[in-house]
Amino acid sequence: MIQFLQQLINGLSIGSVYALMAVGYSLVYSIMSFSNFAHGGVIMLGAYFGFFALTLLKLPFIPAFILACAGTTLLAILVERIAYKPLRERNAPFLYFIISAMGASILLENIVIATIGPTFRTYPPVIPRTPIQLGALAVGRLDLIMFFISAVCLTGLILFIEKTKMGKAIQAAAYNIKACALMGVNTDKIILIVFGLGGFLAGVAGVFFGMKYTVYPQIGNITTKSFIAAVFGGLGSLPGAVLGSVLLGTIETLVAGYLSSQFRDLIAFVILIGVLIFRPSGIMGKTTVDKA
Amino acid sequence: MLKIRDLHVSYGGIRALKGISLEVQAGEIVTIIGANGAGKSTLLNTISGFLKPSRGEILYKGSKLAKRPDLVVRSGICHVPEGRLIFANLSVLDNLRLGAYLRSDKKAVLEDLEKVFALFPRLKEREQQMAGTLSGGEQQMLAMGRALMTEGDLILMDEPSLGLAPLLVKTVFEIIETIRSMGKTILLVEQNAFKALAVADRAYVLEQGRIVTSGPVAQIAGDPAVRAAYLGSKSGKSCG
Ligand SMILES: Nc1ncnc2c1ncn2[C@@H]1O[C@H](COP(=O)(O)OP(=O)(O)OP(=O)(O)O)[C@@H](O)[C@H]1O
Ligand SMILES: [Mg+2]
Repeated sequence: MIQFLQQLINGLSIGSVYALMAVGYSLVYSIMSFSNFAHGGVIMLGAYFGFFALTLLKLPFIPAFILACAGTTLLAILVERIAYKPLRERNAPFLYFIISAMGASILLENIVIATIGPTFRTYPPVIPRTPIQLGALAVGRLDLIMFFISAVCLTGLILFIEKTKMGKAIQAAAYNIKACALMGVNTDKIILIVFGLGGFLAGVAGVFFGMKYTVYPQIGNITTKSFIAAVFGGLGSLPGAVLGSVLLGTIETLVAGYLSSQFRDLIAFVILIGVLIFRPSGIMGKTTVDKA
Repeated sequence: MLKIRDLHVSYGGIRALKGISLEVQAGEIVTIIGANGAGKSTLLNTISGFLKPSRGEILYKGSKLAKRPDLVVRSGICHVPEGRLIFANLSVLDNLRLGAYLRSDKKAVLEDLEKVFALFPRLKEREQQMAGTLSGGEQQMLAMGRALMTEGDLILMDEPSLGLAPLLVKTVFEIIETIRSMGKTILLVEQNAFKALAVADRAYVLEQGRIVTSGPVAQIAGDPAVRAAYLGSKSGKSCG
């Protein structure tokens, strides 16, 4: 029982970080109907920004964290302006966006390899490694912090989308961007905000991943899992992305704990294929008639 | 109020509008009638800033109209699009509130909301319902109500009667008259020429991207060519 609870907490913590990344995929998808594969690159750079802010700039943890998130917010907006905006203006077919996204993703990874280098780097020990004892449970401090901050960020995001005027405009744009423009909404600004929000959360996730594991140029590949989680929950649906991520994180951790850690990644892809075959719209997704 | 001069619009190589000139005076209902593919929606989408004309100009209240949809709305033109395009994933109330997106005068917005509900009592009853679950007629009313919330002076309507049962078509045209009596100016695109000519002051007939005739509705309705092409029969009743 103790072991199960322990695994569950680990799973929730990793799942909540997946959720930070998955909502970035979902937000962009909901409005622009394509999967922004450059998101993984932005998360990877978030991990590097945090790392260098701590080591080169020698900033304390919180300013370093904020700096990393500001960096990824700008980077995500930059990716949109350079890789997607010209396509939007020409009403390019959706396939072009996918190609552009893959191009941006490869570019970001290789810029990092060429400038920073392919080596693995370890974050300085900002959070003590000693776990907190909660009765018989030993919970990692980093896991707790990850879970808590992610939950705060996700709640903030959902409140913003559900309760504010701008959030309603984002939902309207997700339904029909043309009709949204007819309400006097500057849809270009909406797209900017959506990329900015996704980028900000990518920074949070990147720093956490860097701290939990290590930093290396292919760290963006881990984000494939959050993409799977977004599909699992229903691409385009924010609550779906969160639910899918938490479920995936928990299932993975339990599989690693009770079967073998070798099965951990396998299970993610089995879930993806299962979802695509049996319920392509995911747990909470809308029917995906002409979106892909 | 609105003045369009020699407007040309193409989709890639396809020329959809080939030199349109027209004018709408404040307080008028002007209708544009034309068959499928004549270019009616293209014209409205160009006014709204979704399409870039290759030639020609659009003047609104004496100055050049902005070329971006949100700026067009800001300058006081609102567009009830073909197919309504209501936000099915949001409640009726949220749809109406989005119509007032650019407005910050909370009190006036609430007053206008009451006016819209007075005009469309069915929307009031369904305030919290998801807009996607409304019937076709209710969705059309929501699309009109949403446009009224923008506080525009000129309302562009693209085939508001499309797909509605005869009784509802009648209601929609009554509402158009009511909206005019509220002080709005209306540019109405219709395939239902009979009804459109009955409600409008002046009409333009659009054929394959060109205006072939224009004038007061009585004159247009009396034009033998128009009668044959758009009013179906001598009496014109069959379109009603
Ligand atoms: N996105 C597009 N790409 C290419 N051609 C288009 C596009 N939209 C419209 N057209 C063409 O432009 C012409 C005018 O179309 P438009 O939609 O303006 O007609 P309409 O008068 O509104 O017709 P309807 O009564 O059927 O709505 C048509 O020949 C149509 O095929
Ligand atoms: Mg049309």
